[in-house]
Amino acid sequence: MSVTKELDVSIRGAFGATSPGVSDRPASAALENLLSDIQGSDPHVRTKAWQAAGEVGAVAVQPLAKVAEEGEMEVSRAAKRAMWQIVRYAGRPDGDGKEKDAVVSELVALLSTSLSVPVRREVVRMLSEIGGNESVSAISSLLSHSNLREDARMALERIPGDESLEALKIALNSVPQDFKPNVAQSLRARGVEVEGIPCRKLVPTKQTNVKPLAAR
Amino acid sequence: MKRTRKVSRRSFLAATGVAVSAPYLIPARALARAGRPGANDRITVAVVGVGGMGGGHLREFLRLRRRGEVNVAAVCDVDETRLEKALKMSGRGVEPYRDYRYILERKDVDAVLFATPDHWHGVQTVHAAEMGKHVYVEKPACCTIEEGKAMIAAANKNKVSVQVGSQGRSQPEAYLAHRYLVNEVIGKVDKVACFHYDSPIDENPVPDSDPPPELDWDMWLGPLPWRPYNQNGCHGVFRWFLESGGGQIRDRGAHVMSCAMWWMGADGTGPVSVEATGTPPHIGLWDSAVTMDVTYEFKNPDWTMTWNQHTGNAVPAEERREGEAAIGRPGYGAVYHGDRDTFTHWGGDGGTWAERKCREWEPPPGAKDVYRSPGHKEDWFNGIRTGAKTIMNIEAAVGVANLCILGNLSYILGRKLYWDQRKMEIVGDEQARRMMSRPQRHPYHL
Repeated sequence: MSVTKELDVSIRGAFGATSPGVSDRPASAALENLLSDIQGSDPHVRTKAWQAAGEVGAVAVQPLAKVAEEGEMEVSRAAKRAMWQIVRYAGRPDGDGKEKDAVVSELVALLSTSLSVPVRREVVRMLSEIGGNESVSAISSLLSHSNLREDARMALERIPGDESLEALKIALNSVPQDFKPNVAQSLRARGVEVEGIPCRKLVPTKQTNVKPLAAR
Repeated sequence: MKRTRKVSRRSFLAATGVAVSAPYLIPARALARAGRPGANDRITVAVVGVGGMGGGHLREFLRLRRRGEVNVAAVCDVDETRLEKALKMSGRGVEPYRDYRYILERKDVDAVLFATPDHWHGVQTVHAAEMGKHVYVEKPACCTIEEGKAMIAAANKNKVSVQVGSQGRSQPEAYLAHRYLVNEVIGKVDKVACFHYDSPIDENPVPDSDPPPELDWDMWLGPLPWRPYNQNGCHGVFRWFLESGGGQIRDRGAHVMSCAMWWMGADGTGPVSVEATGTPPHIGLWDSAVTMDVTYEFKNPDWTMTWNQHTGNAVPAEERREGEAAIGRPGYGAVYHGDRDTFTHWGGDGGTWAERKCREWEPPPGAKDVYRSPGHKEDWFNGIRTGAKTIMNIEAAVGVANLCILGNLSYILGRKLYWDQRKMEIVGDEQARRMMSRPQRHPYHL
């Protein structure tokens, strides 16, 4: 079994079905080459591979996430950069809307997997660039995740539209007390007046251990 | 504060309710007309970020303190080793802080200099302006388009003087170059070709680790999205991350393009399109372009600026100089293409060197003259005292930073971008428009 097919099977086993139209697509030679080159030992080949990942598209998102999760440091980094290339290529103004939708769908699917926090954090940030209403629910669900809630909050702030705004408004009432100022910050950034939760940006909190010379 | 005015230190402290035993100084603005110190008043300053550049600024302020021109009230850093060193250099009477917001609360501080990593510039400038402090902030002014807009709005609303540290504008040979170009000695300029050597590569990547105990990593990151500490991703080398320093184009572009916009009379204008290509590093943590080529098209008047980032730039033999006048930054500068001749300068920061023919040019009777800066800090002090626009005021600096940001965005996205200068917006590209801003971590936000 090829590297690609092996990954394909294991990912689908671990993370479940992906978006229609993508999951049935056979692993292409381009995908196979991409994954092979990214996992190779030559950093120059790896770099060329991630740079060219954009056109491979949605079908590569989940296999790359797995490589990002499990690969050696430089391989993992290259896999993440390849995912970013796909996001940037899919979001081009003259692009095919369906292609972008497929990429978003693959990214959304990753949020509910058991992938590590660093990888899912990266995915949330990718969605903040190209996600729309379809990604709001999955991102909102991370507002209850202690290590991902700040990235989820920032993504919702950035994704335009009423649904992300509504999600932030709902979150203001549902998140723990210590996180309410963060959500209030996002709402203010979106032009909503928030009462009862003062902005803390100008409130100093961090004390130094260095003493003034006269006090020694 | 020198006691040159009618209000004594003691009576001022009594009137403002500050304990007489407190080490705090009287702000110069308290003794002059509303909001502005008088011509003979010492300006009370604080320095936030006392590492490489900040350490240099602090030394300069201490020199000015010895001459009786400023008071130094406080130093601040999130790295306690650096803070301790700066405090020892400053001597007694200077308060140390980790959190700059304590300084902003001090009524005795007139002005704050921020020499922090680039991702802090926008937030700290806005915060300081909102607290009524005059600001000197290192270049580049901002990391996102929306940060720049917020900086301009905050400075204007609060009527504070902002100087951005593209100090090339204040160099003696920058004055000569400006005058030379304004008088069209090389004719009408329709192209400025900026050149710079390439960005470095993180050749020895290491895994993430715990931050050293002396460093407040959360505060160092500030507005940036969370990332774990990495010894190759902190002091100094933040320049090589697209999200913070932005590579050579934002680090040195903020100097070379600053000179270009000033000398071309283009402050307040912007390009209509930006197109970039580049090569990424093949290894390591850093992600800014190693080599890069960017083209900016300006209209009405029509001209082009390019940024070419490659190895191999050098000073021709006939332009070499010896001793103190030697060209210390041979690897970067710009070539101005006029319809009669060309003109080259090297550097563009604290060192700016103009071509020999420009230095030797004698203005004929009736030639135009241009503003000659008394020095970048002195120009800022003048702005603080009089309300005059500084030579690298926030509008001009944001305009230059936007060029650098747009170049990087085009590189990142792999496509040409179109720009509406009046609205300060990218047009026709939804993804790029989202990237004009970046949500910031709580509570380190605009």
